[in-house]
Amino acid sequence: MCGVKFPTPFLLSSSPVSNTAEMVARAFEHGFGGVAYKTLVIDKTKIIHPSPRMAKYNYGSKKLVGLQNVEQTTDRPLKDNLLDIKYLKKRWPKHPVITSIMGFSENEWIELAKMSEDAGSDMLELNFSCPHMTVEGSGMKVGQTFDLVEKFTAAVRKVVKIPILAKMTPNITDITEPALFAKKGGADGITAINTVRGLTEIGLDDYVPKPNVFGKGAISGFSGPAVKPIGLRFIAEMAQCKELNLPLAGCGGIESWIDAVEYLLCGASILQMTTGVIHYGHRIVEDMCEGLSDFMTEKGYENVKDIVGKALPNLHPTEAFDLKRQGIAEYNLDRCIGCGQCYIVCRDAGGQCLEWDGEKRRPVQDKEKCVSCMICSFICPVCDPPMITYKEVKNKKPVIPSVSK
Amino acid sequence: MKPNLTLAQAFAEAQRCLLCYDAPCSKECPAKTDPGTFIRKLHLRNIKGAIRTIKKNNILGGVCGVVCPVEKTCQKACSTTEISRPIEIGKLQRFLIEYGWETGFNPLKNTSGKKAEVAIIGSGPAGLSCAAELAKAGINATIFEKKEKPGGVLRYGIPEFRLSAKFLAREIEDIKMLGVKIKCNSKIGANGVKNFRKKGFNAVFIATGLWNPYKIKIPGSDLKNVITSLEFLESVRNGNRKKITLMVKNKNIAIIGGGSVAMDAANSCKELGSRKVYCLCLESLAEIPASKDDLETARDNFVIIKPQCQVKEIVASAGQVAGIKGTETEWVKPNLFIPSNVREASGTEFNLKVQAVIMAIGSGPDPEIKNLCPGIKYKSNNLIKAKKDGVSTADKNIFAGGDIVRGPSLVVKAVQDGKEAAKKIIKCLN
Ligand SMILES: Cc1cc2nc3c(=O)[nH]c(=O)nc-3n(C[C@H](O)[C@H](O)[C@H](O)COP(=O)(O)OP(=O)(O)OC[C@H]3O[C@@H](n4cnc5c(N)ncnc54)[C@H](O)[C@@H]3O)c2cc1C
Ligand SMILES: Cc1cc2nc3c(=O)[nH]c(=O)nc-3n(C[C@H](O)[C@H](O)[C@H](O)COP(=O)(O)O)c2cc1C
Ligand code: SF4
Repeated sequence: MCGVKFPTPFLLSSSPVSNTAEMVARAFEHGFGGVAYKTLVIDKTKIIHPSPRMAKYNYGSKKLVGLQNVEQTTDRPLKDNLLDIKYLKKRWPKHPVITSIMGFSENEWIELAKMSEDAGSDMLELNFSCPHMTVEGSGMKVGQTFDLVEKFTAAVRKVVKIPILAKMTPNITDITEPALFAKKGGADGITAINTVRGLTEIGLDDYVPKPNVFGKGAISGFSGPAVKPIGLRFIAEMAQCKELNLPLAGCGGIESWIDAVEYLLCGASILQMTTGVIHYGHRIVEDMCEGLSDFMTEKGYENVKDIVGKALPNLHPTEAFDLKRQGIAEYNLDRCIGCGQCYIVCRDAGGQCLEWDGEKRRPVQDKEKCVSCMICSFICPVCDPPMITYKEVKNKKPVIPSVSK
Repeated sequence: MKPNLTLAQAFAEAQRCLLCYDAPCSKECPAKTDPGTFIRKLHLRNIKGAIRTIKKNNILGGVCGVVCPVEKTCQKACSTTEISRPIEIGKLQRFLIEYGWETGFNPLKNTSGKKAEVAIIGSGPAGLSCAAELAKAGINATIFEKKEKPGGVLRYGIPEFRLSAKFLAREIEDIKMLGVKIKCNSKIGANGVKNFRKKGFNAVFIATGLWNPYKIKIPGSDLKNVITSLEFLESVRNGNRKKITLMVKNKNIAIIGGGSVAMDAANSCKELGSRKVYCLCLESLAEIPASKDDLETARDNFVIIKPQCQVKEIVASAGQVAGIKGTETEWVKPNLFIPSNVREASGTEFNLKVQAVIMAIGSGPDPEIKNLCPGIKYKSNNLIKAKKDGVSTADKNIFAGGDIVRGPSLVVKAVQDGKEAAKKIIKCLN
């Protein structure tokens, strides 16, 4: 990407998982192919992290489908971080270090950029996207003010030779706009996404949103598997934007090789992750490397770049759909276990095309009335192969509910 | 055989895994199959990687998934037990291997070469595992097996309802695919090992198992319908079931013993249509050595387990087995489970009406083993005496493993011996 070679496409994203050389080096040993080093700031901005700084979002018995955090940029002295970056480049010369920086004025951006390049960074990542900086005029607020994106990128571009990535916030409507401003300023690629502004849980006894920082909560950054659809969308939108035409680093909810392949298919060239590491540790990358390589062998690809963007030709605006073709949810009742959930959801939220045979404990479908919303198949517990599947019906007219009598 | 898990069931089970650091289950697997890693891989949807891990570490991963007494090995250490029930490790292992077969994914490649020639005597788990490991290292491994089909106890001991011949044959296919040659109907007799040397084999691995069944000597033990569990189980499995069915169908049977082999015999009797099947054993219910699974199957088959009893006599009538006599025993001091702490409980004498008796009290090496390979050391019970590593012998080119060294043991330990022996053989050939 941008002329820099990565041993594997999997990188730590800028966050507590990339805050010291010691942690990053262990990640490299497991198979990470590079790092977006935790965002550096000029020492005069004193960074103190709130305590506690993260909260979990669990769904049923599944842990950490999302993660809320109010962490700031790095809290370490700039000197220490630069020494750590030098150390990494010495010990792991083939593993690119992308140094993430955030200035609070043009001069600070310039100063940080120069120092990072001097420390041996292979690339820079300009953090225009932290959603909860406690310092005014920084982070996401820059990313939402497009001319600042261009201005700071251009300032940095002037003083360094190494490639520059701009890291974008998802907390806007159209990501291609600020991305184009970053390109105008001289960015060589885009990273997306940073965390999504959110609120995950509210204490039911004290009414304080979490993380509960001594009686106070805040709308802040949300990450993990729950944000994958948002990250994937922004990557695909930028990848389809002909005017932008920049390489992309995909980030947001990547945990398994399947997530990784999806990001690649949507146009990302490299992948970054944090919450996956927070959940499982460095070992997840072993399964990503193995899974991706098996996938490529199975499909007959040699290089990761051969699959980049492969899904884009199939991604259209909704008005491109062929509405003449219709179908139904087809039931294979041989394998039905009689739970009746399909009947409930079809009646209360679908096309009301099912009757319930209480004697046999089986749904009875009126195929004519099926609107093919497929919600029954989403909740049906009988899988591999699924009991309810979509089937096209030739010459079927779209089903329109009639007036209530 | 019990049905395999479905993909959805396997995922759900793997999702329950806590993905422990320094996984305790992995430490408890005698063959170092590394369940901690393959379950993590399944958890993170890296199914092929999971299959690769198993096959790399344990060439009989499918078989072990089916027959390992997991509650005594890996599963015993599962941390999930502390918060709910242990992960079903054996079932996941079997699932993955079968899933690989069904989807045509085989992580192994034929890399066998002609670096050296090694002869292996016996195609049980120890012999198969050693051969596979050697083939992977580019060494020509030839197994000599006296029976018609390969597998040892897996083929002729463990009954079909636990481990089907088809399943076993499929896993042996994977081993042959590596380039291993298996010569069946090839009994190795006196001085066999020496002859191998003359024929140019560079090393020999002896894995002949324990095929000489023990019998207790009590009045009546020479009667016609008194047989050993090995003879019985082998007849059930070698395709000529007619005679053996005649012996047990609609009859009451007494089985002497309380181990997995006794349960296999009891459950097989039930399958062949026996009426009452009694398992008479010395141990108390708490100490019965049979695995939980085997005991459950026995219970479901209405096998009557009579713990803490001593058999005294097999009663004859007109030269035929007519009953079995014995008494129940009790502990002298409570909860001290040692033989010297046992005494007969008065007034508990029994006389069960049975028409056949199956002795399942263990087996030892074929006494001929010493002629087969005279150059090495033996213990008093004819087991081969190995060095500290468990597989090397007094002769530097002769190795041994599995039950012939350990005495009655487990499939998974035989697999480990095969691996270890292969490692030592490779070292000695270099
Ligand atoms: C009925 C039964 C049930 C069991 N159930 C279980 C179980 O559920 N789980 C478990 O873990 N363990 C079980 N075990 C124990 C387990 O099967 C053994 O520990 C294991 O099979 C030992 O492997 P091996 O390779 O050493 O020997 P074996 O499996 O005994 O194989 C030895 C092979 O060598 C061949 N052979 C012997 N002499 C010669 C010769 N002179 N020339 C050529 N070939 C020869 C034999 O025919 C045989 O095929 C069971 C044992 C029995 C008997
Ligand atoms: C605790 C925490 C701290 C983070 N700090 C930074 C940061 O300093 N700089 C930055 O660019 N992104 C930061 N991020 C955002 C991540 O790099 C990443 O963009 C986001 O979490 C989405 O990816 P994920 O779902 O893989 O975690 C942080 C995320 C978390 C959870
Ligand atoms: S993960 Fe470690 S550093 Fe973080 S709260 Fe727990 S113990 Fe403290």
